[in-house]
Amino acid sequence: MSVPAVEVKNLTKVFRTGFSKDYVVAVDNLSFEVEAGEVYGLIGPNGSGKSTTMKVVLGLMAASKGEAKVFGLESGAIQARNEIGFLPENPYFYKHLSGVETLRFYGKLCGLRGSELKDRTVELLQMVGLEEAAKRRLAGYSKGMLQRIGLAQTLIQNPRLVILDEPTAGVDPVGSRQIRDLILKLRDDGYTVFLCSHLLEQVQEVCDRVGIIFKGRMRREGTLNDLISIEDQTSLTLEGASPELLGKIHELVASEKGTTIIDEGNSRTTLERLFINIAEQKTEDTDQ
Amino acid sequence: MSEEIAERKLRAPAKAVKSFSLLRVWTIATSTVTQLVRMKTFYFLLAFAVVVIAAGNFNIPSTPAKELSMIKKVSFGSMDLFAWLFAIVSTALLIPRDLEDRTLYTILSKPVRRIEYLLGKLCGVLVVVGVSLLAMWAICSLVIFSRESLYVADEMALIQEDGRYGAEEVEAQIALIREQGLRPELGFAVLASFFKAAVIASVTIFISTFASSSLFTIITSVLVFLIGHAHSMAANFWLQETENNLFVQLLLKLFKILIPNFQIFSFSEGIVQGEAVVAALVGQMGALTVGYIVVFLFLSLLTFVDKEF
Repeated sequence: MSVPAVEVKNLTKVFRTGFSKDYVVAVDNLSFEVEAGEVYGLIGPNGSGKSTTMKVVLGLMAASKGEAKVFGLESGAIQARNEIGFLPENPYFYKHLSGVETLRFYGKLCGLRGSELKDRTVELLQMVGLEEAAKRRLAGYSKGMLQRIGLAQTLIQNPRLVILDEPTAGVDPVGSRQIRDLILKLRDDGYTVFLCSHLLEQVQEVCDRVGIIFKGRMRREGTLNDLISIEDQTSLTLEGASPELLGKIHELVASEKGTTIIDEGNSRTTLERLFINIAEQKTEDTDQ
Repeated sequence: MSEEIAERKLRAPAKAVKSFSLLRVWTIATSTVTQLVRMKTFYFLLAFAVVVIAAGNFNIPSTPAKELSMIKKVSFGSMDLFAWLFAIVSTALLIPRDLEDRTLYTILSKPVRRIEYLLGKLCGVLVVVGVSLLAMWAICSLVIFSRESLYVADEMALIQEDGRYGAEEVEAQIALIREQGLRPELGFAVLASFFKAAVIASVTIFISTFASSSLFTIITSVLVFLIGHAHSMAANFWLQETENNLFVQLLLKLFKILIPNFQIFSFSEGIVQGEAVVAALVGQMGALTVGYIVVFLFLSLLTFVDKEF
C-alpha cells in the first residue's frame, strides 16, 4: 500500500485567548488520511477548524497535540513543503508583479531556473487561460483571475499534493465552474487534491471522499456515495414518458406492498447550471 | 482505496531541495527591491536633490571654503537622515504587509526557510538603501564639484583682473577650497551612513517580527534609533546611579545590550569636516555592523521561527 499523501493523527490545536487563561479548542483529536491520487474534501461551517487543520499540514502552525504528515514526511519540513502546492482562501499575491512575474517568483523559490522555469510558466498560464493577461499587473486582475493565477502558482514546482482552501470563494459561477474543471483536470493528471470548502455542491462534484468536520471534530467520513445515498430509496428519471405510462407505474407501485412514491414531478436544473447555460449561450451569440 | 483511484497514474516525488539556499534568499531580495522600486520609494531622491541644490545656491556672507563646508554638512547630514529614515520605513512596511495580505502564507508554504525569508527581505532593503545612497552621493558630488569649480575659477580670475592678490595668496585660497571640496574620502562618510542604515534596518526587521502593525514598528524603531544616539550618555548616567534597585539595574543593562550604540557610527561628521580617515576605524565599524546584523537576525529568527500564521 502506498504512503498516504496526508496523514493526520489525533490532531488537537488549542488557541489561547489574549493574556487570560481561557482557551479555544479549534481542532479536537482529529484523524484522517488522504490517499495519493484522490480528491478529498474537508467540509464544515465557518470556524469548524478546516483552515487550522490545513495550516498544520502546511507547517504554518504547530499542533498542540498529535501529528500531521505529508507523504510520510513531517509537516512543515522543507522537503514536505516541496511536495505541496497551496492556494489560500482569497489569495493575495504581490500586486506590483504581473502574472508571469508572479509565477517566476514562486518558481524560483522552488529552485526552478532558466528554460525549465520559462516553459513551466508558459504551460501553466495556458492551462489557467491567462496568457493574454500574463504581462498585466495583478492589481488589475479580477477575483476569478487571481484565483486562477493562484492555482497556477500552486502547481509551479509540479507538487504531488495540491491543497486548496475555499478555492471558489467569492468567484462568480462561470469562474467557479472553470476552477472546478481545473480541479478535475488535476485529478486526471495524477495530482492528489485536498480541499476545504463550505460549498457543498462544489465538493460533491469533484471529491472522491469527504470528511465532515464540525467544532473541530470529524463527524462523518467516506466516499460520496456512501455518505449521500439513502439505502431504502431509489430514484428513477424518465424522459418522454406518456401519462398512460405514468399511470401504469402508479398502479404497479400501488400493487406492491410496503412501496410508496415519495416524490414526483419534473426534474429541475440547479440555478447555477441555468446561470452557466445562459452565460454560455450569450457568449456564443456575441461571438457570432 | 477504490479501484478508480488505484488506477490513476500518480505523479513522481519532487526533486530534493537544499536545506538552505542563497538563491532563494536572492529571489526574495530581488523581489523586495522590485516591490520597493514599484512603490515609488525612489521619489524621496527628488526631495533630497531639492535640499542639496537649495543648499548649494544658498549664499552666505563667508569664504568659499566655509560655504563649501556648509554645503557638505547639509548634504551629508540630509543623506544620513534620508538613509536611516528610509531603512526604517521601507523595512517596517515589508513583513507586516506580507502578513496582512497573506502573501506570507504562499511564500512560507513553498520550500523556503524562515531565515531565508528574513535574510532576503533585509538584503533587498540594503540593496535599495545602498543604491539610494550612491544616487544621493552622485547628486551631492555634482553640486559640490560645480560649486568648487566655480570658486576656483573666481579665484583664478582675481589674479588676472587687477593683480591685487599675489599668486601665492590665491594658491593658498584655492588649496583651502580644494580641502573643503569634493574628495574621495567623502565616500567613507557615505559608507558610515550605510552602516548605520543597515543596523537600524536589522533592528526594524526584529521589531516587525512581533509587531502588530507597520506604524508600531516605525515608531519603535525611530525610538530605538534616537535612544541609540544617546547610548553612552544614558548608560553612564543610569548605570552609575547606585540608588537604582537590582531589577532596574538589570533592565538598564539589558537595554544597553539590546539597543545599538548609534553614536559610534557617527564618524562621518569628522570626514565631512575634512578630518583624515582611519582605515582601521572603518574596518572596525564594518565588523561591528555585521555583528549587529547577525545578532538582530538571530533575535528575529527566535521570534519568527515558531510564529503561527
